[in-house]
Amino acid sequence: MSKRIFLKSMATAVVALAAVSAFAQSGQDALERVKKAGVLKVGTETAFAPFDFIDKGEHVGFNVDMYHEIAKEMGVKLEWVLLPWEGVFPGLESGKFDIVAGPATVTKERMLRYRFTPPIADSTVALLKRKGDSSVMKASDVGGKAVGVGKASAQLTQIKAYSETLATKVDVREYPGNNEAYADLAAGRIAAVCNSLTNIAFVAQQRPDTFEVVLPPFGVKAYSAFVGRKDADYAKLMDAVQATMLKIKGDGRMAAMQKKWFGQAFDTPDMVNTPNL
Amino acid sequence: MTAQLFLLLVQACGWTVFISVISIVLGLLLGTVVSAAMLSSSRSLALAGRIFVSFFRGSPLLVQLLLIYNLLPMLGLNVPSMVAAIVGLSLCTAAYQAENLRGGFASVPAGLLEAADMLGLSPFQQFWRIRAPIALRMTLPALANESIMILKASSLVSVVGVVELTRMAQDLSASTFIPLPLFAAAAFIYLVINGIVALGFKKAENSFRWGIKA
Repeated sequence: MSKRIFLKSMATAVVALAAVSAFAQSGQDALERVKKAGVLKVGTETAFAPFDFIDKGEHVGFNVDMYHEIAKEMGVKLEWVLLPWEGVFPGLESGKFDIVAGPATVTKERMLRYRFTPPIADSTVALLKRKGDSSVMKASDVGGKAVGVGKASAQLTQIKAYSETLATKVDVREYPGNNEAYADLAAGRIAAVCNSLTNIAFVAQQRPDTFEVVLPPFGVKAYSAFVGRKDADYAKLMDAVQATMLKIKGDGRMAAMQKKWFGQAFDTPDMVNTPNL
Repeated sequence: MTAQLFLLLVQACGWTVFISVISIVLGLLLGTVVSAAMLSSSRSLALAGRIFVSFFRGSPLLVQLLLIYNLLPMLGLNVPSMVAAIVGLSLCTAAYQAENLRGGFASVPAGLLEAADMLGLSPFQQFWRIRAPIALRMTLPALANESIMILKASSLVSVVGVVELTRMAQDLSASTFIPLPLFAAAAFIYLVINGIVALGFKKAENSFRWGIKA
């Protein structure tokens, strides 16, 4: 076989394989597939306390309890796929799992690409500072100081917008993840970390001798929710998850879980249709 | 840091060792095939070998892992996390080991093979009794190097969903918010494992010295 024919036939084989698999995937409804397999696959990152984290070797958190209830209601088993956050959305899009835990702050831009579930927490942003740092007593004190924030996060957009309202601009430092920002705050490289109040309240609670929350939060009202696909073959699955979650919210189970993991129950809307962000 | 956290790191390092050992062995086998292809007199085989090496040596392991994990499902081949991790590491190390072995085979003196020809040794006997032992002996230090590199590179497989030592340290520091002791402990565990690997290869090098008159 000449080289050219060999290359041609390889290329044809690859294209054919892709076409066949695309056909096989598009023909099947996600809800049917989940019900048939009896397993709902959920992708998430375990470095996001108190939503998903490792405690004494066990994967625990609000998301674990919440998805446990969702799966129970839907009559399926739960399978977790644990990835670093940057691998979670590629995994969702390549079909490695059916839905993402996370959660993510609901924003207009993200709603164009993904479908959100009913919100599970208030994700209004606030600042975390070093314990006893008297130079940061209220949010506006960070003008002219370095503030850490996760890159490509909804919090980044907010701290930038907030910075514009201050007399001296904030020196915004972007980090690959919140945990690196917390470490730099403890080390004294930055004056504060900007993240949702739910997350930083937990951080301050875990290390009360190192960190302290700057109250009140400065950001606009925002909510975080689980994330799924917008594709037509995922619509029924997302409808089912949405209905199940509203049931769990309606009978007070969600509030109990929020109290357990966040220390307080949130008054969240059933759906966020027009986010502030 | 508590003993319990340290124990979790040690458990996670089990996956580091498991994935690395399998990948190094698979990589050695595949690397042998690839180096044989590169040294073969068939031009298309040699070209195929060289393309393999240039791809897997020329692109970052992280990118290769992401491709295997996220791109193959679009072609209808949904590989689980552990398989993607082992395949990625094996293919990458195979490329490096193939180059090491090529160097080893190239260093077999031509005179020895001429002598073997004259003594009537078959090509297989020449390979098994002369070329392979000499190449292996020449390649062992490079193989030790590569094994240690793979043990450390295995920290990348967390991107395809395998919780190994580095990832466990990251996860634990994300729930306790005390990163420093956890990463120091992880570094210590890597050092211990690689110390053992280095010692093992040293011993192997000594026992492969048969036939060499000191």
